[in-house]
Amino acid sequence: MARRYDSSTTTFSPEGRLHQVEYAIEAINNAGTCVGILAKNGVVMACEKKVTSSLLAPTKTSEKTYKLCDHAACTVAGLTADANILIDQARLRAGRYQYQYVEPIPMEQLVEHVCNYKQAYTQYGGLRPFGVSFLFAGYDTHYGFQLYQSDPSGNYSGWKATVVGANNQAGKSLLKTEYGVTSNKEETKEEMKTNDMKGDDVVEMPDLEGALELAVKVLNKTMDATATSSDKMELFSLTLDDKGECVHKILTADETQKVIDKVEAKAAAAATES
Amino acid sequence: MSILEYNGAAIIAMTGKECVAIASDTRLGAQAQTVSCDFRKVFKIDDKLFVGLAGLATDVTTLENTLKFRRSLYELREERSMTPKVFSNVLSNLLYEKRFGPYFIEPIVAGLDDTNKPFLSGMDLIGAPVYTDDFVVSGTATANMYGMCETLYQKDMEPEELFETISQALLASVDRDALSGWGAEVHIITKEGVTSRQLKGRMD
Repeated sequence: MARRYDSSTTTFSPEGRLHQVEYAIEAINNAGTCVGILAKNGVVMACEKKVTSSLLAPTKTSEKTYKLCDHAACTVAGLTADANILIDQARLRAGRYQYQYVEPIPMEQLVEHVCNYKQAYTQYGGLRPFGVSFLFAGYDTHYGFQLYQSDPSGNYSGWKATVVGANNQAGKSLLKTEYGVTSNKEETKEEMKTNDMKGDDVVEMPDLEGALELAVKVLNKTMDATATSSDKMELFSLTLDDKGECVHKILTADETQKVIDKVEAKAAAAATES
Repeated sequence: MSILEYNGAAIIAMTGKECVAIASDTRLGAQAQTVSCDFRKVFKIDDKLFVGLAGLATDVTTLENTLKFRRSLYELREERSMTPKVFSNVLSNLLYEKRFGPYFIEPIVAGLDDTNKPFLSGMDLIGAPVYTDDFVVSGTATANMYGMCETLYQKDMEPEELFETISQALLASVDRDALSGWGAEVHIITKEGVTSRQLKGRMD
């Protein structure tokens, strides 16, 4: 029955759904996973690299991570060709904002601009939506370090930690249990029965190493590969240097391997304990 | 009165042995009246690429922002730095786009390319470039600056000697020009980095 209402983006189905948009979101569930984690002093993004042929001769540093401006970067899950258009849009917007206000663009404004651009393809023109979800990581002086997720519908939200791409549900459930630490665990256990839990949980943000390790742990879970190696994943971090300027870093193969080794060691230690 | 002489400026760039120097005055005036003595006219585009903009102050500021935007976009897309020659062409193109309503700027580009070879170029307000291997000048005291440079310049000066030469050339030129002076700054660019200094000159 949905058949009649799913070929055009500009038509609602009788249930009030936009099928083309939903199909676009489905397309991304086959794409390489991206994890984003907010840390105390930075943002970490880890991606599964799906294209790893030795015959590849890449000219760009990455097919997953892109710098948008001095203080923002993003990772891509979905159709890379579609992503290139949107990334260029984001770069232009950031540059034009800087040109007009002589100030760096606030993160949410950048994200919202890209998302508004995506939304237009769900309402006008008879063109298909972009098959891309982004994780945006950035810093501004208004809200510090931030992490945002966007999808083909043009919807976005800010996160402390999130996953997009293949097996994102498994990744998200792992993050729910492992991200941050709820303080006052013993007291709240009794209180839970009588008081309202009004978000009294204090979620403690991890530091950068902790965030990197958690990201690798999540990728281990979402990737089907039996052995994770540094050539299948790409780790990125955004931090501030002592001059207050943003540092974009894609970890080298050696550095990535070190994080993977640490995670494996901790997992082995936990296994022997229990 | 020419619009290019409204605010006043004096900029020189010179090549040395594996280095370049670019120097400017820091006066901002409204014709005869001096309004500021710390108006920047030379801007860092990259570690080894500087641009000096002489002419109408509002266009100096606008072009500074435009050039930084263009360079930023280039670096994001191409994942490499813009060489001085390419930057000079971008600037020339930018100016010619406004051929029939130009920016009132006569810029100077000075830098070291990826092999650390010195690069200099100067342009008129509609982008006609000139590439030299000795010196370029721009501003309201060009006649004075050409004279000073032609006399004092020698090939392959070391950074310290280049600094002395360009400073003397600039100071002597602006002292005979009412519209430039009131402070000066010099940047020496070598493969190790940039040294920037303020000059102490006549404040009149």
